[in-house]
Amino acid sequence: MRQPVVRCVEFVESVTEWTEGALSDDDRLTIEEHLVVCPHCTDYLVQLRLATEVVHEQPPEAPATATRTALLTAFRSQRDSR
Amino acid sequence: MHAGVDQTEADDTRLVAALRAGDEQAFGGLVDRYYGVMLRVARDYVATKEAAEDVVQETFLGVIQGIDRFEGRSSLRTWMFRILVNRARTRGEREGRTRPFSSFASGLDDDEPAVDPDRFVPDGRWAGFWSAPPSAEHLPDAKVLAVELGDRLTQAIETLPPAQRTVLELRDVRGFSSAEVCELLDISEANQRVLLHRARSKARAVLERYLQAGRP
Repeated sequence: MRQPVVRCVEFVESVTEWTEGALSDDDRLTIEEHLVVCPHCTDYLVQLRLATEVVHEQPPEAPATATRTALLTAFRSQRDSR
Repeated sequence: MHAGVDQTEADDTRLVAALRAGDEQAFGGLVDRYYGVMLRVARDYVATKEAAEDVVQETFLGVIQGIDRFEGRSSLRTWMFRILVNRARTRGEREGRTRPFSSFASGLDDDEPAVDPDRFVPDGRWAGFWSAPPSAEHLPDAKVLAVELGDRLTQAIETLPPAQRTVLELRDVRGFSSAEVCELLDISEANQRVLLHRARSKARAVLERYLQAGRP
């Protein structure tokens, strides 16, 4: 049964299901209709996407120097034993 | 959102060739890129941080020893993470640890709203609509924000429940697809989505707080 209207409080909880393509066609349309009429949820989505992009820019956590050195040593010795 | 950004098939072919040729820089790059997130994935299967570190080291040794046999039927990183999960699982079983208590299976029932409920109209005709809406005016560029937010966002990610943090890192930092994440962590699509949803919602809240603090 299609929900005729989605409120903002529901939009913010359904948005990931929407971006992940996990909604039924009806629910997807309901979300998209809400976005057309609600500038605030559109702004929310913009912020959410920006946050995701910023997260993507995070540098990886490097291993401790000793661990890294040990792994590289193992790599070298395997290479040289061939 | 960033599926495939981190690694493409062409990159894989080059990387595998470099590893087989004994290219130390290529191996070092792999270690730098995946060590942290591998540690977190392993940590879910074993009892201690030390055991997880052992498992990750063993995994990289397994990669060194097995790279000649890598057939490219999956991506290199999927292959690496399969080695990781197999070893972590074996180790966890030896420790008598069971995964039903894993952070991926728990913590999904408690209701954490994406946005503070006080920001919506509580009752009346407009109940559930924004009373304190977010603003997307004058947003800086993601790369600029990444530098500005830097530590603040890193700290926020570090305080996420482990499962949310791992899913966010695999999906949004390392660019894994949802299918890859579900396979590696052995969780359902729906659980993966909930974890991602909560983590992303919190990342957005950090961003919004930062932007608001910068405004009069």
